[in-house]
Amino acid sequence: MAGDNDNTNTAVEAVGGGDGKKVSRRAFVVGSGAALAGGALATTAHAAAQTTEAPKIQKAVYPRSTKYLVYDSMHCAGCLGCMLACSLVHEGVTSLSLSRIQVHRSVLSKYPLDMQQNVCRQCPDPLCVDNCPTGAAHVSAENGNIRMIDEAKCIGCQTCIKSCPQLPHRTIWNPAKKKSTKCDLCVNTPFYNKKGGPGGAQACVEACPRNALKVVDEMPDQADHRGVAQNDTAGYDRNLQPPAPKMPFGFGPGAKPKGKTGAKPGAKPDAKPDGAPDAKPAPEGKPAASAAPAN
Amino acid sequence: MGTPGFGGKLLVVNLTTKEIIRLDSQEYEKYGGGHGTATALFWEFCVKPGDWDLQDAFDPHNMVSLTVGAMAGTGTPASARTSVSGMSPQCYPIQWFCHSNFGGMFSTMLKMAGWDGVAVIGRAESPVYINIVDDKVTIEDAKSLWGLTTWECQEEIWKRTGVRFGQEWWKLDGGYSLQRPQIVTMGAAGENMTRVASLVHGGGSGAGQGGFGGVFGSKNLKAVAVMGTGSIKIADPKGLKDAREWWDKTWPRGGGFGGFGFGSPGEVTSCCVGCGIPRFCHNRTRVHSKDSDDCAESTWYTLEDRQVPTEVNQRGTDICQQHSINAMETCFMGPMTFDTSHNPSFPIQPKIPAYSALGWYMKKMYDMGVIGPGTKFDTSPLPMEEYGSRNFMEIYGYAIANRVGIGNLLAEGTARFCEKLGRTDDFSTLCRLTMWGFMDHWSMPGVEWAYGNLFDSRDINNHDMSLGRKNGITCEQFVNIMAKRTPPTEDPFWFDYSWEGEQAYKTGIYSEHKAQWVAWHQHYWNYYKESVGFCDWGYSQLYNQAHKEGFGHTPEIEPKYLNAVTGRNHTFEDGLEIGRRAWNLKRAIFVLQGRDKKMEKFTGYYYKPGASYCGYAKELTVYDGSKWEWQNCNELYFTVEGVEKFKDHFYKVEGWNVDNGYPTRKTLEDLDLKPVADTLQSKGKLG
Ligand code: SF4
Repeated sequence: MAGDNDNTNTAVEAVGGGDGKKVSRRAFVVGSGAALAGGALATTAHAAAQTTEAPKIQKAVYPRSTKYLVYDSMHCAGCLGCMLACSLVHEGVTSLSLSRIQVHRSVLSKYPLDMQQNVCRQCPDPLCVDNCPTGAAHVSAENGNIRMIDEAKCIGCQTCIKSCPQLPHRTIWNPAKKKSTKCDLCVNTPFYNKKGGPGGAQACVEACPRNALKVVDEMPDQADHRGVAQNDTAGYDRNLQPPAPKMPFGFGPGAKPKGKTGAKPGAKPDAKPDGAPDAKPAPEGKPAASAAPAN
Repeated sequence: MGTPGFGGKLLVVNLTTKEIIRLDSQEYEKYGGGHGTATALFWEFCVKPGDWDLQDAFDPHNMVSLTVGAMAGTGTPASARTSVSGMSPQCYPIQWFCHSNFGGMFSTMLKMAGWDGVAVIGRAESPVYINIVDDKVTIEDAKSLWGLTTWECQEEIWKRTGVRFGQEWWKLDGGYSLQRPQIVTMGAAGENMTRVASLVHGGGSGAGQGGFGGVFGSKNLKAVAVMGTGSIKIADPKGLKDAREWWDKTWPRGGGFGGFGFGSPGEVTSCCVGCGIPRFCHNRTRVHSKDSDDCAESTWYTLEDRQVPTEVNQRGTDICQQHSINAMETCFMGPMTFDTSHNPSFPIQPKIPAYSALGWYMKKMYDMGVIGPGTKFDTSPLPMEEYGSRNFMEIYGYAIANRVGIGNLLAEGTARFCEKLGRTDDFSTLCRLTMWGFMDHWSMPGVEWAYGNLFDSRDINNHDMSLGRKNGITCEQFVNIMAKRTPPTEDPFWFDYSWEGEQAYKTGIYSEHKAQWVAWHQHYWNYYKESVGFCDWGYSQLYNQAHKEGFGHTPEIEPKYLNAVTGRNHTFEDGLEIGRRAWNLKRAIFVLQGRDKKMEKFTGYYYKPGASYCGYAKELTVYDGSKWEWQNCNELYFTVEGVEKFKDHFYKVEGWNVDNGYPTRKTLEDLDLKPVADTLQSKGKLG
């Protein structure tokens, strides 16, 4: 599907498309996490985690989004600057919970399994749109076919959240407003000093100090999309780093690693600057599944 | 609704009475947030009641606080520090009111939960941890956490929440989140109340100096965990973005942020919330040492006479973090040595280590036969014959953290270890301790660092001066730039490091000019760094080669960011004044603890040739009476007479009595601190 110029998708592709053969980094995380689920201690003061219902079968055919937010989890610093920028320009506050891009890091886990960046995929077959009973979740023709939620029409039923096939879901609940919301690539940003949206700027991309976010035109590979869990490695999680400059004094990616355990930044043999449409293969020396985060 | 940028509440937990007190943080804003607010809380809860003598940091009366300022959680670079304050068990001979700080995500999460700080007094009967979930605060049983390393403890608390990394949104009472609680904790070194215990957060953030891990231990407090789902109001969101963009454009990244912009786009750094500045404080790819790549821990086991393999060194980083050992205080020598052979009278020959801290000093004592088998101080369980091996390092760390054998003496820190050996003369020879028991740390010849150490209570650890020779610019042009960036005085003579003859008294290191500069520097960091939360690696910045006129971002960027966040209209000087208030309140605490003019003396080596051998800036700006030039100040040292003269100037500049160093009523009242003046007067200690 990636690179396909046909601007529509069919129901069949949406639920079962792709070759399904690639085992992604993400699949490791999910797999090992599931194995540990039974061992997790019962929640104490906190309410149980929200569950995600299985997505429904796609009913309609939608035009594809013209823009997609992609990311580079191997170079993300986990600074959460993108999240704070997102909530700032949309809501006028900084908030980790209201951000429509979600980054979280398990600081005691091994690289690269320590990082998760969860962005809205602007799905070719948007179940959030498809299942919304009021039309609040819609494909916005005037904004490059971005999947958006019209706050005025949202009745807070959370159907779009339950429908999101990604884990964790990318549609966001705003408990204060009792409305759902989602990434609109900065179309509705009353607190932004720039014009956002498909032809404009995106606050998260601007804020990122590590070149770990980018908006691209071409639909990323959806191959691993199974509708039950995020497998973003396929097309969204990619190397976005510019070619490494020559650094003086032995610093930088060109430098020889120090000793046996010296970091080997940028050591991915597949490292291609952005624009590379193909999926990011597993990193070299990928840790075994047992090295996945413990909780 | 409180001031934008602030959480709005301060939390005080009394572990003896199990009382949970909520305070309006707006009432403390005049102290600046962070350390300034913590100083006011300490005054309120520990000094004002007047029910103890302010001498023992392990006394349940002591307060340890974790406080944040306006910038945390706003997404501005280098501004997410959490300040740690309280009386320090590491300070010597008096356990002064002191501070430390750490980065990471704790400050942001605390704010998201609606708090600007959490302060703890009293002592729990058995191990506990404090759990903050938005507005809800509970004191939880931590018996099963006691004995865990800092990493294990964090993993265990995460497990207790039932939330698994990256799985699904977590529904809490007030909101939702994908994050997990942020935790600050300590390991065996804290539990065993060593004086060298740090507080550790995440994989590699920590507050080392001060020994606050031991204060947690003394309170039976294993950890503080916080989870917040709220938000921080920003007064002018567009203004904040404008400020950030202006900063990015004016000082291109990598162009010398704090002098450390040596990263490159391909590196895999990790950092505090909102930062991302390529200084590489932490590195995600470290195999052994989790998150940390910073200097103190990663060079902890650097030895004088042998090359330690990298992986052993990295394991050393782990040891410090897992046991929560203050790496700086207990390290072996630091990464560098300096030549001393040209000065045969210098006690350490032919080269001096950058830091002659506890590990190095212990080995020296062993080589000299002062400690070891058959002496009064057996070195068991340290396998001295294996010195340099990984095994030795493991046992050294374990013995200190658990107070085993000689580890029990080492756990008291360098100053008290010397004292136990009956060798306090070593303070000013072999150990090179600063006046309050901390290891010397680049404090000379940049005398503002040394003077800061003298008037404060610890190694002030301010890396913000960059006075060495600059390309393409004359020395005179340089000092004029520096002057322009230090309002309101704008005096180039603040940067004169003349240290010999008349000139030293006129414009140099003993002059009133220098006293004003040292005061400015103290007020600056008391507010902008330690209270607002700006990181030492980025602030202050007076000079920056990447700027077309050579200007650093100080003094413009600080008020720009702060005003956008808070909606205030503060000038840079308003901030200095808040810093001065907090600094004077702290001075009053010092005075009540026993500080006076007579005590404020450097240890002996500062007054002798060799004082500056380990300085980080050899070439300094010197005015000879007619012209400016960069001169090698490698030989700079103080005279007793000069320092005494300087103290007179400094006390005058600060508004303290020149005879005893106590703050005067006028000074305190001008700063809106009348009750403080009254307390000092009642104790006969008003200047
Ligand atoms: S701003 Fe960039 S580096 Fe920071 S968390 Fe977001 S994607 Fe990662």
